[in-house]
Order: sequence, then C-alpha cells, then structure tokens
Amino acid sequence: MKARKPWLTTIAVSVIAVFLLLPLLNTLMTSLKTTGDINSFPPKFTFAPTLEHYRNVMFAAGYDFTSYFKNSILLSVFTSLFVIVIALPSAYSVIRLGFSSGRLLTLSMALRLFPPIVFAIPYYLMFQYLGLLDTVTGLILINIFLNIPLGLILMVGFLQELPYEIEESAKIDGCNVYQILWKIILPLMAPGIASVAILAFIFSWNDYLFAVIISLNKATPVTLGSTMFITSWGIKWGDISAATVLSILPPLLFTFFAQRYLVSGLSMGAVKG
Amino acid sequence: MVYSEKAAKWVLSFPLLLFWVVMVVFPAGYAIYLSLHDVSMGQGMSSFSGFGNYLEILGDADFWHSIGFTLEFALITTVLELVFGFLLALLFNRSFPGKRPLLSMVLLPIMVAPSLMGIMFRLILNENNGVATYFLSLLHIQINLFDPDLVVPLMIVLDIMQWVPFTFLIIYSGLQGVDPGLFEAASVDGASYWRTVLQIILPVIAPIFFIAAFLRGIDAFRTFDVIYVLTNGGPGNVTKTASIYIYEAAFKSGQIGQAASASVIVAVFLLLLIPFFVKRLSK
Repeated sequence: MKARKPWLTTIAVSVIAVFLLLPLLNTLMTSLKTTGDINSFPPKFTFAPTLEHYRNVMFAAGYDFTSYFKNSILLSVFTSLFVIVIALPSAYSVIRLGFSSGRLLTLSMALRLFPPIVFAIPYYLMFQYLGLLDTVTGLILINIFLNIPLGLILMVGFLQELPYEIEESAKIDGCNVYQILWKIILPLMAPGIASVAILAFIFSWNDYLFAVIISLNKATPVTLGSTMFITSWGIKWGDISAATVLSILPPLLFTFFAQRYLVSGLSMGAVKG
Repeated sequence: MVYSEKAAKWVLSFPLLLFWVVMVVFPAGYAIYLSLHDVSMGQGMSSFSGFGNYLEILGDADFWHSIGFTLEFALITTVLELVFGFLLALLFNRSFPGKRPLLSMVLLPIMVAPSLMGIMFRLILNENNGVATYFLSLLHIQINLFDPDLVVPLMIVLDIMQWVPFTFLIIYSGLQGVDPGLFEAASVDGASYWRTVLQIILPVIAPIFFIAAFLRGIDAFRTFDVIYVLTNGGPGNVTKTASIYIYEAAFKSGQIGQAASASVIVAVFLLLLIPFFVKRLSK
C-alpha cells in the first residue's frame, strides 16, 4: 500500500527501532568508555573510545571469558548438528512414510508447551549419577531436547513444500529410501536445514536456565559467565559491557548475514505451530 | 529388510525415539517418582511419602503467589505485545525509504539472550550512572528497581521491549499474505483506514494473532532469565515466577521432592490446556 508521506513512516519506524535497541546501544557505548567516563553522572554521550575493557575481558588474569566463549561455541555447534541429524530423518519418516500418523508431531507440540524447569530436577539427578554435571556434553544433551520440537516442526514444514515427483522418479530408477534421503532430500532441503541450524545455534547459545543449573565453572557458557562479572566488590560495568557485547555478537551476525533463513524459520515455526 | 519402506520408517525415527525415551519418558517418570518421595538434595535415602509433598505445595501461599504472578505477567505482556506488534506491522506494511535495514534492526532483540538483556537493563537502570536514571531525574522522577510498587510494571515494560519484535515478525508475515486489494477496495469505498484495519484486515489475520498469542504466552509463562538476573524474584516474592519458585525450592532449599511435585502440578495444569490449543492450531 502506498503512503502519501513515506518519509514520515521512516521517521516513526526509526524512533521505534532506536527505542528497542536502546539497551544494546547503551551497552556498546559503555564498553568503549574509560572507567572514569562510565562513572560520570550525568552520563557522557561524547567520549574518547578505548578498547581497554575488551583487552581485560579477553586477556586479563582471573577472567575465564575465553573459555566461556569456547564452551558456548561447542554447545551451540553440536546442538544444532544433532538436532538436524535427529529431526530430519524422523520428519521424513512422518511425512513421506506415514510414521505414527502425526502423533509424533502432536507430542512434540505438547513438549513445547511445558516450561523446561519441569525437567530440570530429573536431569540434575540423572547427570549427577552419570557424571555429566558441569560438562558441555550434559548441556548439549539438554539443548538438543529443548530444540528438537522446533526442529521437527520446521523440517516437516519444509518437507511438505518439496515436490514429491522427484522422489517418485528416483524410486522408479531403483533408489532405496536412504539413497533418496541422502542424495535428493538433503540437497533440496539445504535452506530448511540452514534455518533449523541457525535457530538451534542461537537458542542454545542463549540458554541460561540450564547453564545455571548444570554448570559450575568448567562448562560455563557466556550467558552465565557474563553475569559473573557482577562481583562482590562491585560491578565492573566496563568489563561486563564488553563481555556482553562479545557474547551477543555471534547471534547478531547471523541476524544480519542470514536473516532470510531466520525469518523463514521463525515464521514457519509459528505458522506450523 | 531394512530397505523396505516399512522398516525404513522405524530406522529413520529410531534416533528420535531413543532420545525421547532417555530425555523425556524416563525423566518424566522419575520426576513423578521423586514427587511422591521425601527427597532432599545431597541425601541418597528417600522414603515414600504419598501425596505429602503435593499437600505441602498446595498449601504454600508462596507457590500460589508465583502461579498468580506468572499468569498475570504472561497475560499482560502477551496482550500488549500483540497490540504493539500489530501496530508496528501496519507501519512496515507500507513502502518507505530504508525499510530493509530498519527491518533488520527491529528484529535484533529477538536474537539476544534474555539473561544478557537483563544485564543491559541493569546498566540502563542502575542508580549511579544509568541512562534511564539520568533522564528520569531530569523530569524529577526517581525510580528504584526494587520498589515493590514499580517492579512488576517495570518487568512488563522490559519484556515488551524485547518481545514486541517477535509478535511483530509473526503478524507482519501474516499481513504479507493479505491481498493488498483489500486495503485498496476499502479506501475506494471511502472507508477510513482504521475501519478497514479493524473490520476487514483483523478478521482475516485472526488465526495468525492466535498463534502469536500462543507462542508468546507459553514463553512468557516460563520466564526465568531476565527476572532472575534483575531481581532474583524479589523484592520478597513480588516477581517470583513459577520457574523461579521451582528452581529455588530444588536448588536453593534442596527440597527435591517438593520441587518435583510443584513441577508436576505445573505440568498437569498445562496438560489440561493442550486439547484446547491443539484443536485451534490444527485448523
């Protein structure tokens, strides 16, 4: 639809965008100020930028931020990998081979309804018994669980959009189910797989609840690690801001460079329920 | 033969079924078992206690307060986020310069970890050097994060700041499926813009509204991160959500049995809602 004064819309949307991004902009600014500038009141809006807080976070003694970051990377990469390996074949089995006549999907929708805290207690005790407390492996297992319902629903949605004729002719040419899945479905599904992978990466990167419950120090990811800069002798706002900026960087990079996949994933996840 | 389709559908579903047995079925059964026993953190021994834990939880005013607060919080944030998300979607439904980069910017908050958002809000609101504190002081308004009268509206505003982009995205993608002719036909008839929106567009995208409400509602109901980082559920128990209640009962007080029964109660409560949602969503 054509608005009569499009520039007015641009201004209105820009104001809303700045308001929504206020926490991020403010944190970015704080991370670049010297400690003196941070503590000035009224706040300074012009200042000489410094990278000292980023240096502190990455190299100063007593900070484990780099290992938190490594944990987060491991956690997110393996979670999205396993979500795909588990969800794609079972989605294929449900859609093309008629497995469970849809009950599997109803179940995964039901799982999405429960607050994850419901599973926290049994997980904690199971992991204690298995020696998985404070391990990245334990966190990966839980994050696969958290992301499988969305993965399954998206895979089903994307599969339903593929034309069946290609598979049919492959079958006539003598391909078995596994060859069809590997040689035909996998390449055709690449955009859908990318959506699931990116969303699972971001959601597991952002998990905080299970990081608090399962990790003590060895497996701590950035979401929890950044809150640890609030120390008993005060809050080092410069360092904590730098840590926060570094921690939100990977998800934000995805938002800018893979927005197409993100939007298609999020809106399909919504439409398919 | 594993190559037959009949076998293949089991082979291909096997990883998922195995994973669910280990990570869903067993833990669910285990949680129910724990809820019926007198278990504390760190103690291996446990004795059967029947429904003792359940009675204890159901008689705990703190538990009911957390359920009430969670429902109130989920309801208010969901309604407001739908309204604002819809308004923003209507704005984006026009064509204007800078639309694409602005769309990317508006979507950013969805991707930020809520716990990190909590830290960023704390920086804005802190009493020594916070930007919000400064601007409000110019208006001679003093805010204190831990003022019991203010903390709930504040949590609602913060939730809205992060999640309006999400309801916006869902509703906007729904709006794009609406025939632009609908807007035009209405304006040719001389109907005003808002009447068109309320009487023609809204009914068409009602199912999308319901889905956005459902997704936001369940997410708001499980809220833990932001509130835990900002207030720890305080002051007192004013902002204690059901998730924070269960977390503290289990991992702070070590009352495993009682916390397990609280989580079973919450799960049953939500199970009762499933038929209602499944019916609406599968339409």
